Amino acid sequence: MGVGNQDQTAFEFRGDWKEFFPIAASNLLLTLVTLGVYRFWATTRERRYFWSQTRFIDDTLEWTGTGKELFLGFLMAIVALIVPVIGLQFLIQALILQGQTALAGALGVGFYFIILFLVGFATFRALRYRLSRTHWHGIRGGSEDPGFRYGLSYIWKTLVGALVLGLLIPWSMTSLWADRWNQMSFGPHRFESAPEWGGLMKRFLLLYLVPVAAVILGIVTAVSSGGGPGGLGAVVGLLVIAFYVVLPLLALGYYAAFFREVVGTLSLTTINFQFTARTKEWFLLFLGNAGLYVLALIAALIPISALGLFSGLADLQPGQDPFAQNPGLIAGMVLALIIPMSLVGPFIRYRNWRFFIRNLEATGVIDLDLLTQSQTKVGSHGEGLFDALDMGAM
Amino acid sequence: MIPAWHYNGQTATRYEVYAVAQEDGLYLDLGDGRSDVAPWGDLFWIDKRDGASVFGRKGIDGWRVGIPLPMTDLLARRLPPQSRYGGLVDKFGIWPAVAGFTALSAAVVLVLWKAPDVVAPLVPMSWEQKMGDAMVGDLGGRICDGAEGQKALDALVRRIDPKASELRVRIVNVDMVNAAALPGGQILIFRGLLQEAKNPDELAGVLGHEIGHVRNRDVMQALLRQMGLSLLLGGVGGDVGGALNSAISASYSRAAESRADGYAINLMRTANVSPLPTAGFFDRLAEGERKLGKGAVAMSYMSSHPLSDERRKVFLASARKGATYAPAVTPQQWRAIVDACANDPDVKEGDLF
Repeated sequence: MGVGNQDQTAFEFRGDWKEFFPIAASNLLLTLVTLGVYRFWATTRERRYFWSQTRFIDDTLEWTGTGKELFLGFLMAIVALIVPVIGLQFLIQALILQGQTALAGALGVGFYFIILFLVGFATFRALRYRLSRTHWHGIRGGSEDPGFRYGLSYIWKTLVGALVLGLLIPWSMTSLWADRWNQMSFGPHRFESAPEWGGLMKRFLLLYLVPVAAVILGIVTAVSSGGGPGGLGAVVGLLVIAFYVVLPLLALGYYAAFFREVVGTLSLTTINFQFTARTKEWFLLFLGNAGLYVLALIAALIPISALGLFSGLADLQPGQDPFAQNPGLIAGMVLALIIPMSLVGPFIRYRNWRFFIRNLEATGVIDLDLLTQSQTKVGSHGEGLFDALDMGAM
Repeated sequence: MIPAWHYNGQTATRYEVYAVAQEDGLYLDLGDGRSDVAPWGDLFWIDKRDGASVFGRKGIDGWRVGIPLPMTDLLARRLPPQSRYGGLVDKFGIWPAVAGFTALSAAVVLVLWKAPDVVAPLVPMSWEQKMGDAMVGDLGGRICDGAEGQKALDALVRRIDPKASELRVRIVNVDMVNAAALPGGQILIFRGLLQEAKNPDELAGVLGHEIGHVRNRDVMQALLRQMGLSLLLGGVGGDVGGALNSAISASYSRAAESRADGYAINLMRTANVSPLPTAGFFDRLAEGERKLGKGAVAMSYMSSHPLSDERRKVFLASARKGATYAPAVTPQQWRAIVDACANDPDVKEGDLF
């Protein structure tokens, strides 16, 4: 079966936000009334929708993960890993407060290594879990590797990347991506990843040098203007623009190039993947996501100000307690804020998924008869640690 | 015979098949004389896709059959129903489930909220003391423990509460107008408060209030309540600095605060120390709140502290007309307390965190 030609792209997202809204809304309701416990099932419902609306060649993807396994994974992560880590942290801080700085410092370094390992390990396991729960034509992905080795290489590659003043970060990022994906498979086939980091250095150096240049330029401006208030204003303005506008844009430019490189050098037997989004598309994605937050804030402010006016908060006298007579008021206001703000998350994930699929391409040939079922193990629990470390944000 | 599609879970090849509802299961005619029967109990609903309902089969990874919609009545009756929210919610329907979960959550919150009142008095004092020691230690050398100052402070504590043997009251070299009761009968007085206080009777009132929190075991209650809440919010907080910080800024309920004030007033009455300077201290605090205006009103509710002005009135009202009170400590002792940090050569200075 041929994949990807001029007439038809290999990947297509055909979701509709009006279809997704009832899912997001009922998820929020159930999550609220279960004090958050439902969120694992909510995540599962979201992914089922995203996957089922994503077509690859002639059939859609299918998410076969369950809420129960995510919940179990979360509990396991808490018991097996988070509790000891928190205990260690508690011990270190108690030692600091009691003046045993040397011992605390030694433990602190060890703690840092453990955290680095866990972050790497969790990233690997999350990818493995997601592939093992992704079915296409009844076939799924997975990995034989439990990810401990990846956790170790995550430690040393992150440290080396940061060592030379952070100049080797592009190397560590691409190399870790390859380490991860080379252990993954779909059906009987291994993914193959061979990204090059040399091509990313131009954009990375730009990102790297701008803050330095901004500071030097700032000093030069300040000196040449003789240190007057006008000169100071110019320096501050320059630094603000450099750090809040130029720097994020350059970071986005670097990340866009990174993602094009790593996806573009990824293949699965005879299929090659590409990612088409350039900096501008990434910028529009983030702009849109930020816009959703603004929209939610406006949606929250209207009922909140109405509630406030209605309850006479505007002509409150000093010494008067606004909520004493009306405990429902504070609950109403909190809900009016929580509901729209919590709906932003699902829609950002919707937009991110749509962005990812729209820009993902594949070319090559698949032999369906040779695409046999994956023999990798299917874990009984989900991406608990990843979830517990709150790393699902990106 | 209904035309359907099928993946067998072994290869990615898609088969066009015919499906028939039989007594023992879903019969699939695979062509070339081959067939497969999936027992009804093993089938589970997956989703709707391209005008077909898709089902999987327990025990066979990736086995799928797509039955075009609309289905015949016979198939619809035997095949599993669509699932939407997850097992439990689908079983009861969304609204009954929402109602049930709400009731359950309310019960959990109520238990977590009320349990500390019951549990706190049961926690052995020795545990509480160990906990307090772990949290405080020597505060990185910031305790002003010069002999003179500590002796005078102990005298003040004994003066207003003769039974205070289990209390450990200490002065901390941090510029903060505050005092705090911590687990295990530890009371910290911050240097800023000593600079703000005009005379020993004011300090006696504040001290009495903190002793009230200790005796009522409010500290343990607040700590347990906070642990329960953070457990509920999913983040088990494990940093001591944070725990110490939140114990210092602990928000007791308004009732607990009023009880602690009442305890302080009783102590002072028994000790024959005037409550009027403490009222004056709250008056000065209230002055600050008046300047802040409406903000302070809302803030006071949030922080669960009674307004300084209300507290001032309570202390004012407790003064006996025509009584002659004795000062809490001698002027020399008061000097020693106020200068405790200045006179402690090896004390460290700085913010707590």
